[in-house]
Amino acid sequence: MSDKSSIKRVLYKVEQLVERGIDKRVRIAVTGLSGAGKTAFITSLMNQLLHIADNDQLPFLRAAKEGRILATKVSSYDELHIPEFKYKQSLDAIFDKKPTWPVSTTGISQAQLDIRYTIKNEWLKKLQKQSQLTVDIIDYPGEWLLDLPLLRLSFKDWSMQCHELLEQSELDSSWREQAVELIYQQPLQDDKIAQVSTEYKDFIRQNFSQQHTYNLLQPGRFILPGELAGAPVLDFFPVLDIDILNSDWSTLSSDSLIRILEKRFNYYKKQIIEPFFKEYFEKVDRQILLVDCLEVLNNGYQNYRNMQFTLSELLKSFHYGHSNWIKRMFSPSIDKLLIAATKADHVPPEQHRELELFLQKMLQGSRNDIQYEGIELETLAISAIKVTEAVMAEHQAQKLMCVKGVELSSGDEVINYPGKIAPHSLSKELWQEQQYDFVDFAIPGNLTSSILPHIRMDKVLQFLIGDKFR
Amino acid sequence: MKDKPVKIKSKSVDIAVEKVDEKLFEEAAEKSLADSSQFGRRSLSTTAKPKLLVKKSNKRIRKLFWPSLFTFVAGAAVYESYLFIENLFSLNSIVGIAATAVAGLVVVSGAVSLVKGWLSRRKLRNRKSKQMAFSQLISENTYGESQKLIDDVNSEIGQHLDLSGPISIYTGQKQQVHNDRELIQLYSQTVLEGLDEIALDTITKHATESAIMVALSPLAAADMALVAWRSSKMLQEVSRVYGCPQTTLGRIGLTRQVMTNMMLAGASDMLADAGAELLGKSLTATVSTKVAQGIGVGLLIARMGIQTMKLCRPVEFTDDNKPKLSYIRKSLYNKITTILKKSEPSKDAVKVKGEQDDRD
Repeated sequence: MSDKSSIKRVLYKVEQLVERGIDKRVRIAVTGLSGAGKTAFITSLMNQLLHIADNDQLPFLRAAKEGRILATKVSSYDELHIPEFKYKQSLDAIFDKKPTWPVSTTGISQAQLDIRYTIKNEWLKKLQKQSQLTVDIIDYPGEWLLDLPLLRLSFKDWSMQCHELLEQSELDSSWREQAVELIYQQPLQDDKIAQVSTEYKDFIRQNFSQQHTYNLLQPGRFILPGELAGAPVLDFFPVLDIDILNSDWSTLSSDSLIRILEKRFNYYKKQIIEPFFKEYFEKVDRQILLVDCLEVLNNGYQNYRNMQFTLSELLKSFHYGHSNWIKRMFSPSIDKLLIAATKADHVPPEQHRELELFLQKMLQGSRNDIQYEGIELETLAISAIKVTEAVMAEHQAQKLMCVKGVELSSGDEVINYPGKIAPHSLSKELWQEQQYDFVDFAIPGNLTSSILPHIRMDKVLQFLIGDKFR
Repeated sequence: MKDKPVKIKSKSVDIAVEKVDEKLFEEAAEKSLADSSQFGRRSLSTTAKPKLLVKKSNKRIRKLFWPSLFTFVAGAAVYESYLFIENLFSLNSIVGIAATAVAGLVVVSGAVSLVKGWLSRRKLRNRKSKQMAFSQLISENTYGESQKLIDDVNSEIGQHLDLSGPISIYTGQKQQVHNDRELIQLYSQTVLEGLDEIALDTITKHATESAIMVALSPLAAADMALVAWRSSKMLQEVSRVYGCPQTTLGRIGLTRQVMTNMMLAGASDMLADAGAELLGKSLTATVSTKVAQGIGVGLLIARMGIQTMKLCRPVEFTDDNKPKLSYIRKSLYNKITTILKKSEPSKDAVKVKGEQDDRD
């Protein structure tokens, strides 16, 4: 008798241990430049999962199709100092009488979802019927992501890069003319530095946020300071005088302007960027990179090159290779990367394959490197919130597949044929010949269901967390 | 480039706009196909592999053997029956007429079943080409071309099964934006996976039945006849589930293909099932020889059934949904042991090895 009860006790303990072992946690890093649709994506992702019980629009999420996902709830997370993701506000904005896109993020926020599901594995099922998957999602301004490549640059390298990019852009050089008057070898008062720095920030913000010369929009907190607004750590700017850049800096005294700027730059790297990414991207299991290809297509060759450069720099920082600093800093645990072309609903469905191919070609080099490291990689054309429908329209005796929706800028309903996306990379000349007109669409006021319509969010979910529902 | 973006304000211009229906989708797909060939589309063809050449002259003569033999035997039979009937007429005209009527019946029914067999074989060939068309669409990831094929398959299967339930789920879940690969995947998992279940149930039923029959039958020759009978019945039913039913004559073709496939796939299947087979052996080892034989035959039939499923399913199986022998084996073993336990609890039924040794 006593034997039996002790066996029971042991079994109970084993069961508890197994339960703890089976319960899983996934941390998803949603990465993307500003305007790529991170907030809309997270809102839709949470929406799909929170309505999982009555959501029959997720056929490609295998566990949901098998009816094994029981319910999802928002739960509180351990990192109490991070604000909560404003899911409700975002959703309210979408379902408002006058719907608007969720406002873009200005600070960091987090959401945690607990998903309850039935276990499929025959052996595990014998020990425990149900289990729980915890999904952590982090939202933060895309601008800050641009800081990541900065970690690999010294102050001199950074200045050099800014100099080259400004030379290329052939733009308004007012700030540079003013900067020439500065004597870098001599000390300068703090308030004067702050003034020049503010002018520099205004200058790049005005001239380049429309141009998408993303690497000039560094550091990210120049554009979106968050809680650092006005702090002296942000009072620096690059040296753009080529003579000084080519000179030897080792003889300069420590109170010279260059040394002060360098010190602040290094402080920014060490005290702002590193802790930020260490805290939020450590322990990341899955990554999704959202790319707005339509903006690139609309704006032509130079923008394409800029975006390509920025994204490959970005992915390089996330690389998983041996010689990389990130390997030392975070334990590299990302085993799946999804590269998603967002706003696929703005593209006629027959061209989704071309959109995917376009994105694949754009990031070919980075994809190759990542795949070499054995990371599972997928490219998808998705739309977190689908706001258009496909129609056939006849234009000049030609049948064209178009998208119909409410134009964001005018508020009118338009039928748009954006042009044919080439499934291969185009040369500079072909870029100039090829014209695209992708219209920004607004959210229609007639969204009735509480589940957001989407394109391929189920495939996204299957790729990111589908394998965890075993 | 002729391709310019167009934006039209819906209100301002009166323009012919139609909801996208299937027909238009097809047109668009044709167009996009034409357009994409302009960009030098590279399809993943499998014909790039080298092929073994066949010596033709040798084959031609060998090929003549069966037709010539058949013609010879048939000619002899016709001549012989003619003589036979003529002989009967000379005896008695009524007997002669009766014999003629019977001979006529043989000819007519034979012709009908020949035609039916030929039709069913054509259906099987047709199914094979559908399989290839589907896998081509999956690999090329095109848009708007799969719906017609799916409708075809639906109507074929619909003649034998009521598919309205699964099809309504399929149409509810498919979206305008889904490309061919996604549509086929969706179709496979909403409609075809239900058929797979029915087919697997059929296979399990037949495998169990023949396993029990073999376990109980006293004669080895009877075993063989049983296997032949049950397996051909099973092939017929499984092929019917997938909408390409095979008749007696057509079944010969199917059986031959199934057998060839089994021999070809046998080695890999065996490897894949090796782990499971080991477990199976320890199970069969615990029951008496006759029952073990029965389970063996049941497994053979199950394997044939799974091969039939592979041949008849319009969309080929993927790693996720391919039928597993282990599933059938488990229910086979469970059923046969429970049945035999019930019928003969004391004798021949389930014995632990040790007990058998003791008795000996």
